[in-house]
Amino acid sequence: MGNIMIGRFVPGKSVVHQLDPRTKIIGTFVFILLMLWANTWSTYLVAAIFVWFTILLTQQPLKMYIDGLKPIFWLLAFTIVLQIFFTGGTPVLLHFGFIKVTLPGVINALFVMFRFVLIILMSTIMTLTTPPTSIANALESLLKPLKSLKVPVAEMALMLSIALRFVPLLMDETQKIMNAQKSRGMSFSTGGPVKRAKAIVPLLIPLFVGALQRALDLANAMEVRGFKDAEHRTKYRILKYKKQDYQAFASLLLFSIIFFSVLYLI
Amino acid sequence: MENAIKINNLTYQYQNQTTLFQDFNLTIDPGQWVALVGHNGSGKSTLAKLIMGLLTPTQGGITVFNQVLSESTVNDVRSQIGMVFQNPDNQFVGATVADDVAFGLENNEIDTKLMPKMIAKTLEIVGMSEYQDREPHTLSGGQKQRVALASVLALQPKIIILDEATAMLDPEGRQAVMATLTQLKEQFGDALTLVTITHDMDEAALADRVVVINDGQLILDGTPAQVFSEADVLHHNGLGLPFSGEVVAHLNQKPQKYLNESELISWLSTSNK
Ligand SMILES: Nc1ncnc2c1ncn2[C@@H]1O[C@H](COP(=O)(O)OP(=O)(O)O)[C@@H](O)[C@H]1O
Ligand SMILES: [Mg+2]
Repeated sequence: MGNIMIGRFVPGKSVVHQLDPRTKIIGTFVFILLMLWANTWSTYLVAAIFVWFTILLTQQPLKMYIDGLKPIFWLLAFTIVLQIFFTGGTPVLLHFGFIKVTLPGVINALFVMFRFVLIILMSTIMTLTTPPTSIANALESLLKPLKSLKVPVAEMALMLSIALRFVPLLMDETQKIMNAQKSRGMSFSTGGPVKRAKAIVPLLIPLFVGALQRALDLANAMEVRGFKDAEHRTKYRILKYKKQDYQAFASLLLFSIIFFSVLYLI
Repeated sequence: MENAIKINNLTYQYQNQTTLFQDFNLTIDPGQWVALVGHNGSGKSTLAKLIMGLLTPTQGGITVFNQVLSESTVNDVRSQIGMVFQNPDNQFVGATVADDVAFGLENNEIDTKLMPKMIAKTLEIVGMSEYQDREPHTLSGGQKQRVALASVLALQPKIIILDEATAMLDPEGRQAVMATLTQLKEQFGDALTLVTITHDMDEAALADRVVVINDGQLILDGTPAQVFSEADVLHHNGLGLPFSGEVVAHLNQKPQKYLNESELISWLSTSNK
């Protein structure tokens, strides 16, 4: 449970930590869009340098980022295999019966891998340096225009930030229940898939009951502190773009210009 | 004189259950510190939720500072009462200590510019100033409960109800919360009415008045000295005595009336001469 890196926030004082969460969300979003465009070696090189540079700015050990890639390893391997085997073209490098490995297939697979890895790294930079509730806050601010379409943006953001706040608590609880049941002889890691799935049931029931009780308690606690609805409230944390955010946007623009120059000129 | 809380002929029953409260009456004066005690399931939390308007009485009325609790007054009434619950984790709404205190201020549409000062002030009262930016999972239970108390204080309530706020804490956390309460009572005096729900008799002994309920019935009501003299009645209702009372129960030669810890110590040192 402890080694899930995606979505984990590590407090710090780096420039990236201090950026407005909206800047980081927009930056990550733009970067992902550009990566869907990238299809030459040089574009991946430019993107890799940009990611590398940002990673250095976060002042976090590289190991954190490598750990962040681990959970997607199998997904990555699976996609690469698919790309290698099912991209046609010539020249053919290897031949096993009806399966052909072609040079375009290998190149395609490598591109997909780079794309995946770079996107995950960029998203890890965002989640590693931004508290989850700030992300929720930023999403609320960015999605504000949807309010005119009657989308309950404020409610959704509040729900998201409360949900995120309870994640560590529920993780702890899962671990406790697992330990309690292991001490009664339950095993979660042996037997076939059916047996393992069955072992999950006595884990889920107390977990759900506990979560429900928490939800009821929390609703009471919110109500007695004057919560009426998500709309009629002021805000303690007001987001404000600062100098470093403009610098970040300038770097993003510069990166995009270089990216497209490399894409179309080289 | 106006009452802080007046409960008048209250009847309440949960759906599909037998009647819990039947014609229940209780008045609490402004500035009083009342300990509400009773064993598990005796109806203490239900009573607190009724006062907060989280549950609606089947019959009878609740008045808070001359305001009759109803659907149209519930928000006004709530703004005068703060409540701290038992489980420290299930009432921490914000991502950090400061955000949690801010939650109530945001709900009451306090100007953003005023918040930092108000937050700093209330955190100082409960002695949690240095923890302002900490996340809840890095705090002890006692610290979380003090933050909960600060969150309530930030809204400047006239009444604070604590529903077994120390029940899930270790002795150290319990001590810290009770010390904070004692200090609050000294600081605010008659401007603050306290209702502490507990089944820890040592905590109840700190109050001005102890009210014992069982199955929605008022069993005893008086000063700690009066209530703790009724050891048999308490025992019959599943409750014990404070530490000093338990010591006396095992003495051969007993004092005439209930003594608290310091009184007992001086009695012991004089009577045995
Ligand atoms: N939400 C509920 N629905 C039905 N019955 C309840 C509910 N909450 C409490 N009760 C019942 O009401 C009685 C009093 O409970 P409660 O007020 O929580 O007691 P206390 O706080 O003194 O331990 C108990 O018998 C309990 O089972
Ligand atoms: Mg209770």
